[in-house]
Parts: sequence; structure tokens; C-alpha cells
Amino acid sequence: MNAWAKIISRLLIALMIWTPYQIATAGIIGTDQVVASTSQMDRTTVLNFLSRSDVANKLQSLGIDPATANDRVAAMTDQEVQSLAGRINAMPAGGVSNGAAVVIILIIAAAVWWFWQR
Amino acid sequence: MQNARSLAGVFILAALCGCAGLFPQTATLRETLPQELHRKVELKEVPFFPQREYQCGPASLATLLNEAGVKVTPEDLVPEVYLPERKGSLQIEMLAAPRRHGLVSYQLAPRFSDLLTEIAAGNPVIVLQNLGLMESWHYAVAIGYDYDWGKLYLRSGESRRQVMPFAISEFVWMRSGYWAMVALPPDRIAATADESRWLSAVAALERPDPRAARTAYQTFLKRWPDNVNAAIGLANTHHALGELRDAEAVLRRAAQRAPDSVIVLNNLAQTLADEGRDAEALHFIERAAALGGPFAGAVEETRKAIRARLKK
Repeated sequence: MNAWAKIISRLLIALMIWTPYQIATAGIIGTDQVVASTSQMDRTTVLNFLSRSDVANKLQSLGIDPATANDRVAAMTDQEVQSLAGRINAMPAGGVSNGAAVVIILIIAAAVWWFWQR
Repeated sequence: MQNARSLAGVFILAALCGCAGLFPQTATLRETLPQELHRKVELKEVPFFPQREYQCGPASLATLLNEAGVKVTPEDLVPEVYLPERKGSLQIEMLAAPRRHGLVSYQLAPRFSDLLTEIAAGNPVIVLQNLGLMESWHYAVAIGYDYDWGKLYLRSGESRRQVMPFAISEFVWMRSGYWAMVALPPDRIAATADESRWLSAVAALERPDPRAARTAYQTFLKRWPDNVNAAIGLANTHHALGELRDAEAVLRRAAQRAPDSVIVLNNLAQTLADEGRDAEALHFIERAAALGGPFAGAVEETRKAIRARLKK
């Protein structure tokens, strides 16, 4: 496959991912643009759709199937997608179980520390 | 009795030993607790879903969603928020998932008193805690508090009713930057909602669930009737749902209130054009074009399309 065909097929895949996010009808200025702060207003749509497919890809690499990943990204705002793009791995993922033991240790530590202070 | 209370409450203990750095908000909570709040609240009817391994995210969300009237199980929510490779759930996905069920997700301001205010208003709150020394992130649902004893009640992991002193709960919560969220049906507004941040929360619902967003905008406008951006949002949901007459009516009222809003004029013109009334639309789009501003490009597109149709 030559280079052009590669680029075009990649673009088509990206566009397929993008399509469900384009709900704003032609001519209407979307609310997200209105609500977003002015610093974000000049964000281009291109940047946005790259971020969306980027985040969808990341979710897939973390064990989610492609269709589910797209549905999950679709529920995010542009701003949320932007903040996830490129740094999913740096973000906390809440998952540990109760951790009651740890809390008890903390309480003991606090008590010891309190007596030590006196 | 007074003595026993003082000893029992780590909350007061915190103030005594002056360890304000470890739990700064607990130390000042005495002065900042809003007067109108009850001293003791427990939302006993909030359901409980014991966590399966690593899945405190789905379990906490199921608690909030069921409380808001959405019948789901944690298992239903696993494919919506759980990341197998991370063995956990991201905060952004915790906020995004309730929208898929027609609820408004709202991240609270990082204040202990706001947490208590939401609970007192009947809204269980998901908090993100770090329970260990390193990265032990955990979601729990705060469902009650006892102010005098300085205790917070949570649905957490496998315990239906975890009791945590204010100071400890602040210490583990502070490490997530006091991250907390509520999820409410679209006909309600969070007790601590800030106007512009609540509007963003409603706008976020537009894409996943325009019908719920429509209700949420209507609720919003009852509370803050002068907010032109909310009117634009309401009109956009009407437009997306094909309710062009309603969109037009909302935008006309908005145009009276804010005659210089380029967005209102543009969207009104487009709505009229979609109704086949291009001549009327032209009047509004010309007004929008004359105002210029950051949306001039979009306005120009709309104007071109309307003019092209008029020439036919």
C-alpha cells in the first residue's frame, strides 16, 4: 500500500470515530462553545477530534473494546477529553478495596502523634 | 459528658493539638459550618452495593444512580467506568457515566462544608480518597455526618456504614484535592451549585442525552432566569430534538434580553432558516454579522447559506 493510501485510510478511520460526536447541526453555534471559557474558544475542531480518538485509543489499550471505548468518550465534554488526552496514565484510578486496615493504622498514627505532641 | 465528647472527637482533637496542616478544613469547620445545617444527618435509605475487587467506582456510582432513581447494578456500570489495566476508574469517567443515564454530574467545590451541605440536602456524595501511603485511590459515598461528634458516615467498599472521624476523612480526602461529586436528576439542582459551573454540568449532558438536558436547562432557567447562555443551550436542545418552534420562541425571548448576543442572533437565524423562513432569518443574521466578534466566521457561514437559498 502506498503512502497516500495509508494516509487516506487513516483519515477515514479517524472520521468514522469522529462522526458520532458531530451532533451540532450546521449553522448552529453549540452550547459547549458558549460555555467554554474564552481561552478555549479558539480550540480547533481538528484538535478536538484528534483528542477524542486519542483518548478512545488509550481506553482500548487499557482493556476496553473499541465500541465501548467510543461510547465512553462520547459521554465526555471537550474539556474533559482535552484533560485526559495524553495523560490518562498519570491520573488516579480509584479502585482499591475498603482499606479499613490502612485507616486503622492512620488513626493509631494520629493518636500516637497527638500524645507525642503533648 | 462534655469531657467525653471532647476526647471522643478527633474533630476537636485536631483543633486542640493544632495540627491544622494535616486537616486544615476540619480545624476551621466549627466557624464555617452554615448555620442552617442540621447537626446530625444520615441518609439511611441510600442503597448499598458492596464492592467487588477493585470496583469501588462502579459500586459508588450505582449507589448515586439508584438514589437518583436510575435502576442499575454495579455490574451494569463496569463497562462504563472500569479500566481493567488500571484496576480502577478515572474521575472524569465517573463524571461522564451518569450523563449516559440522563443525570447531571457535578464536581463539588473542594470544601468540607459543601460536602456536608449536599448531604444535608439529601444528596449522597462520592469522594475520592487515598487510603495508603502510595497510590491507594478509593471511591466512597458519604451519606451522613454527626457534627457534634465530628463523624462522617460512608458507604465504602464492603462496609455498609463506615464511621470516620472528620479529621481522618479529611486527611484521606485532601490527597485527591478534595475531589467530590454528586449526580442528580435533571429537574434538580445541587445545593452548593455555582451558576456558571452548574451550567457547564448541564451543557455536558447535551450530547449524551438531549432530552434530559432540555429538562435540566428548564430547571436552570427557573433558578437563574437571566442567564442567556442557558437560554442558548435550551434552544440548542430543542433544535437538536427537532422542536424548531420551541427553539425559535426561546431564542426570540433571549434576543430581547440580550440584543447584542451574536450567538443568539446566529442561532435564531439558523432556526428560522430551518423552518423555511429565510427572509426573516436574513434580518437576524445581518444583525449578527454587523456585531463581529469571535464567532464572525460561523456567522458568515450561516449568512452565506441563507443568501444562497434566497437566491434560488
